[in-house]
This record gives sequence, C-alpha cells and structure tokens, in this order.
Amino acid sequence: MSAFGTGARLRLLEFVREPTTAALLLVLPPVVVEVYGEAMASFPALPGTTGDPGTTGRIIGALFAAAFLAGLVGLFQAVSARGTDERLHRCGAGRASLLGARVVTMATVAAVAAAVSLAALARTVDVAAPLAAFGALALGALVYGLFGVLVGALLPRQLEGSLVLVFLVDFDNVLASGVLDVGGTVAQVAPLYHPHALFEAAVTDGTVPVDHALGGVAYAAVLLALAFVAYVRVAGGEPA
Amino acid sequence: MTRVVAAARAGLREYRRTPVLLALFLALPAYSVGLFARLAPDEPAALYLGDGAVRAGMPETFAALMTPMAAALAAGVAGLFLLSSSADADARLVTAGYRPTEVVLARLGQLSVVATAVSAVAVAVALTTFTPDHLGWFAAATLLAALVYGALGTLAGAVLSRMAGVYLVLFGTLADLFLFQNPLARDAPDGAAALPGNVPVAVAMDAAFAGGADLGEFAVGVAYLLAVVAAAAVAFYRSARG
Repeated sequence: MSAFGTGARLRLLEFVREPTTAALLLVLPPVVVEVYGEAMASFPALPGTTGDPGTTGRIIGALFAAAFLAGLVGLFQAVSARGTDERLHRCGAGRASLLGARVVTMATVAAVAAAVSLAALARTVDVAAPLAAFGALALGALVYGLFGVLVGALLPRQLEGSLVLVFLVDFDNVLASGVLDVGGTVAQVAPLYHPHALFEAAVTDGTVPVDHALGGVAYAAVLLALAFVAYVRVAGGEPA
Repeated sequence: MTRVVAAARAGLREYRRTPVLLALFLALPAYSVGLFARLAPDEPAALYLGDGAVRAGMPETFAALMTPMAAALAAGVAGLFLLSSSADADARLVTAGYRPTEVVLARLGQLSVVATAVSAVAVAVALTTFTPDHLGWFAAATLLAALVYGALGTLAGAVLSRMAGVYLVLFGTLADLFLFQNPLARDAPDGAAALPGNVPVAVAMDAAFAGGADLGEFAVGVAYLLAVVAAAAVAFYRSARG
C-alpha cells in the first residue's frame, strides 16, 4: 500500500478509536438539527430568509453540524501534523501525499457527517432532492474542513486554532440564520454562503443553482491551494 | 494566599508568552461585537424583554446581544483548554507541596482574569456603537456570561476530548445565547429559562434598553454561576490530585 493510503487509513483509525469523537459524529448532528429548529421556530418572519423559521433553523443546523465537525477535524489534523509529518517526510514520504492523507481523513469525516446530518433533517423536513442536498452538505463540510486545515497550519496550537474557528463559525452562523440581513459582498465571503444557498435550494425546491455550485467549488479549490502552501511552509514546526 | 497568586500568575504568564493567543483573546471578541454592530442595517427592531416589548435599532441590538456572546465564547474555549493544559503542572505543584485547594483557587483565578479581560474588551467595543441605559449592569451581565461559560468549558474539558469539547462549547453558546435567548424572538423556546445564558442575556438586554436590571434576577444568575464554579472546582481538584 502507498504512503498515502497507509497515512489515510492510520488517521481514520485514530479518529474512530476515540470514542467521544466517534459519538460526536453520530449523536450531535441530530441534536443540533432539532435544537436549531426548535429555537428558530419562535422567531417571527426573518428578514434574511423566506419560509418557515423552524424549517430554516433545521436546514442551518444540518449544515453547521456537518461543517463545523469537519472544520474541527481539519484543524486538529493539521495541528497534529506538525512534527509528525516532518519526521515522515524525512523518512521519504512526499509532502503532497502526507497532506493528502490528512485531507482524505477530513473529507471522509465530512461525508459521514453530511450523511448523518441529512438523515437527521429528513426525519422532520421533506428533502426535495436528497442527492443534491447531500452534495451541498458535503461541500459545506469540505470548505470548513479545509479552513480548519489552513488555520491549523498557520496557528501553532489547538487553543489558538479553536478560537479562530469558533469565531469564524459565529460569524457564519449569524449571517446564515437570516436574523441579520446584511446582503451584498460581506455575506458572500462567508464560508458557507454558497453551500447554504445550494443546500436550501436542494431541500426546498430540488434545484441546483449553478452559480452557487461553481462558487462553492471555486471557494474550496482556493482553500485547498492555500492550505497546501501553508502546510508545506509550516509542517516542519514542533508539535503543540 | 501568596502561593495561590503565584500559581495563577504563572498560568497567566504562559498566556503572555504566546502573543498570538493574547491577541486572539482580545481581537476576536472585539471583531465579533464590532463587525455585527456595523453590519446590522440601520432599522428599528422590536425586542421582547421580560416585561414587554421595547424598540431599539438593529445595530444597538446586535451590539448588546453579541457582547455577552463573544465574551462567553472566548471564556468557554479558554476554560476548556485550561484544565487539560494545566493538568500536569497542577499535579507537580501538589507533589511539590501545594494543597489541591490552592491549585483549584489559582486556576479559577486564572480563568476569572481571562473572563474579565474578554468581557472588558467586548463591552468597550459595544460602547463604540451605543451606550447602555445602565453600563454597570450591562458589564456585570457580560462578565456573568463569560464566567458561567468559562466554568462550563472547564467541565466540558474534564469529560470530553478537546475536539468534542470545542464542538460542544461552540454549539452550546450559539444555541443558548443567540437562538434561545434572542430578544428578537417573540416567545422564548421551551427550556430557554433553564439554560445558562438566560439570566446574563436578560440582564444585559434590560440594562441596555429597559433602564436597568432586576437584582433578584441577577442573584439567580450568580447562584447558577456558583453551582457551575463548584462543579468546575471539583474537576480541577480531581485533576490536581492526579
């Protein structure tokens, strides 16, 4: 088996061996979906969204449950890569395959989190296009996962990275909730702007807005490139 | 007492030696409060407070709501990492002759300093957008939110992995302070009154827009704080004893 395959398998085994983390993946998305739905049902009509606030809450909850989990996995993968991956690189493993193994781990978690979140949403909301909805959720999770990798590559420790990621989610969450309608370019730079639009369209009317699909993929591609550059520049650092 | 202060200072010195962390503790709450206050459209909003509805501008509303939330988020993450990052040092302090209660007091003091600092920054930034009707109560409510969530973060750190803990602190804070306690919602969702953010947000909103706050309500919040601090103290104690 290649270094890439071995690395990815090893990282995934590390992930599932941690019982609270594995439980997090399965238990928290349904809880988050319901909590968001119940909480937002008590809002009057929201200025930044159309439709029932409770359904909007569940849609946002599903997206955040998947995206933030992937973001955290990306962050913790990148932080733990310091030192460890440098030693593997000195033993002959290529940097691209080392980062690839980390990204594959994160992407696998993103896919599972997306599936669990979608299943949780589908219990109470009719999903018009399940496959497109899954794709949008997975894209959102991938974007956050890559953000996590980027933050973890740039900031040396889990505490600092967690703080940045938490406040980024805070920003994204408030904008996506529709409680605050800011519109314009500020909303469009939020990481979940395109995945949120795609997911909402897939769930409510079964369409796939091409502009948001392209925008989301481009956003993820830029993040992947930035994450790779940051990873290569800092992978020689000492572990946290 | 000198030994408690020395241990707390040593912990705070660790923060000071990490300028990035120090900058994040100060900049992130400031960014969160300042950004949303400036992004909010300049429109009036109806706020459903305990005694009825009042009208306020959206920028003022968001500044007032994000202030306790930003402080709680930063303190919650700090509390989460404090227990796990200090566990080895605390165990060594006990081996070297510290009483576990001294170590517990030092860590709680360290967390209180962080909570006070992030609260002060968040309130200062909020003041660039609006002046609360009663600044003292508003600042006290923000500090209460930070201390409660700091202690809850510590508890999360005691029972969960760091990754699970960050997830829980983030979603707990967002769901509680931004969704369940949001004064833009006409009726509070079921269970909102029992959540940790209920009193801090209610007091902050009353202080910001309703002329003051209810001392009795604040006392309930302080009792809640004492309960979670007692639980956090037990977690620190067990950690220090190894």
